[in-house]
Amino acid sequence: MRRMRLVVAVAALAALAYSGFAQSQEGPILIGASIPLTGGVSMFGQHSRWGAELAAAEANAKGGVLGRKVEIDFQDNRCNPAEAVKSVTQMLAEKKYVAIFDGLCSSAALAIMPLVERAGIPFVVANASATSIAERSGVGGNKWTFKVNPTDASMLDALVGWLDKEGKAGNIAFLGEDSDFGRAGSTGLESALKKRNLKLAAVDFFQKGNADFTPVLTKIKARKPGLLALYAVDADFQNAIRQWYGLGGGVPLTGRVLVDQVPKEIMESGFLDGTTSVQPYDPSVDTPGNKAFVEAFRKLHNVPPILVSFESYEAMKVLIDAIRRAGKADPAAIRDALATTKMPSMLGTVIDFDDHNLAHNNAIILTIKGGKVVVLGMSKT
Amino acid sequence: MDAGFYLQLLLNGVVIGVIYALVAMGLSLIFGVLEIVNFAHGEFYMLGAMLAYFLTMNMGQGYWATVVVVTAVAVCLGYVLYEALLASLEGGGFERSILLTLGLSMVLQNGAVFLFTTTPRMVQTSQSYVNLVVGDVRVSLMRVFALALGLLAFGALYLILYGTRIGRAMRGVAQNRDAALMVGIDPRAVSRLAVAIGIGLSGLAGAALAPVYAVHPLMGFSFVFKAFAIIIIGGLGNIAGAAVAAVALGMVESVVGGFLPLVMVDALVFGSMIAMLLLRPQGLFGRGVRV
Repeated sequence: MRRMRLVVAVAALAALAYSGFAQSQEGPILIGASIPLTGGVSMFGQHSRWGAELAAAEANAKGGVLGRKVEIDFQDNRCNPAEAVKSVTQMLAEKKYVAIFDGLCSSAALAIMPLVERAGIPFVVANASATSIAERSGVGGNKWTFKVNPTDASMLDALVGWLDKEGKAGNIAFLGEDSDFGRAGSTGLESALKKRNLKLAAVDFFQKGNADFTPVLTKIKARKPGLLALYAVDADFQNAIRQWYGLGGGVPLTGRVLVDQVPKEIMESGFLDGTTSVQPYDPSVDTPGNKAFVEAFRKLHNVPPILVSFESYEAMKVLIDAIRRAGKADPAAIRDALATTKMPSMLGTVIDFDDHNLAHNNAIILTIKGGKVVVLGMSKT
Repeated sequence: MDAGFYLQLLLNGVVIGVIYALVAMGLSLIFGVLEIVNFAHGEFYMLGAMLAYFLTMNMGQGYWATVVVVTAVAVCLGYVLYEALLASLEGGGFERSILLTLGLSMVLQNGAVFLFTTTPRMVQTSQSYVNLVVGDVRVSLMRVFALALGLLAFGALYLILYGTRIGRAMRGVAQNRDAALMVGIDPRAVSRLAVAIGIGLSGLAGAALAPVYAVHPLMGFSFVFKAFAIIIIGGLGNIAGAAVAAVALGMVESVVGGFLPLVMVDALVFGSMIAMLLLRPQGLFGRGVRV
């Protein structure tokens, strides 16, 4: 009788396990995303979500991948490494996701990396730009992390190359947030300048959420730099740019300036003319793929895409392409397929990964001329 | 560095200091009368700025009318806050007051995130991008307005506390609640008014600073912790002390920030607060509601 009960219990467990397996093989292919849905940069999280969802929707409209729908489960990390670890740990424990997506903030992505390595699941970084993510991936490092967007170092190298050609790279002051984003910006600029026997004229950092920049901006103005590299986002950027205008900065900006977020009045006044910025994307890029993307995005959300929406869209397409080529929804097979990616980008290059699992897409060099943003050109990162 | 550089730093410091004072005075008044540390004070400042944004940018109302409406709404909110939550703390419960106001702060902050998202908004007025220039020294006109509103608020509070019976009653309740009751002062009515004025001041600060700083649900956080440091340095409940400490701190911050890394400025502020707690716990100007 006892043996009979044991057999029934084992059979029940086997049936349960099989039903879960069958469900995981027949239900939608699930991708887990950890992005800031609340907190100071939730606006970027929202754009990341919209971009990734558009890529998944396009794949699903064509019949899905491997005959199954692609679904993305978005979890909030508030751009906080501890929250990122919490959200990804929960997702990994459920064992139903085939890959982890984005992180968005560099600190969050860096915190996620050891988790995916231990769990053996691919992690596709779409937006975090810290150079250290690529340095710690691929050969001799984390083989499960793939970074689709360019690093700060590679973008800034492209930018400094342009500035150097015009003789403007010799006197740059740096002001950035005290985070992995800002620190990566300063080290990226320093190393790009060092290659050309130049160095930064001044370096300052501020705490995220700081409202008043007038002391540090007064100091920077008094040093009379040729350009100011400003690494600030969201409210910090709005406050800094207004106060720079209020103090009559008189110096154009450089670095990764969010030109699309400059108040219209300041932009049109010509105050920022001569600003030269590098970004992974600009909606005005004139390629058929980008035009279709901008139109589809606008139709859905009534706003143009920003660089975060573009990066998440293209990175999700890379991941979906890898799942398709892997031939099965298995994390190890997807990782191997990611490593052999060769996918055309909307920016005119072919996305493939180097030894450090880093793709080298084009960077867009922008300038402000006559109060308007003008694309100067694209430069391979 | 020329004289213009130092003058610019000092002017920046005075403006920042008066902005701090505008937020800190209300906090100080509430502590002075009720002995409650209002951790939600920054959120009322944020709500004031949010309402100012809504009225100017969505309803098309003029800026000065907006300042008046926002302050009046904040005064009413203060009444409601006292009657709904703080009145229950009468007769002690300092720990309860901390938990209650901290909880309220989280509810208001996250509620604002839920309703408005964290996208920064800018209040635009016809003077938003007008700057006053004297030689090498520059300041935006909206900062000058905020400075003037801060000075006006201090003057008005002085008149209320020293020129009216209700002001004397407030000082009486702050000194000895039981004795005030014995001479016929209603501590509850006085406390209610103190909270209304305190929250009104934070609403005024929000409206005054909405065209100066980006408006978003997390904007109160950085200011309120500075305000705590200021009221401790100036003397808990001492409004003149808070105003003087705020302006002094603003100037020190500006001058230090002009020479040292910006990240050291906050360390300086909170280091001063710790030093004050160790060396002179009653603050520079002593405790109690006075100006």
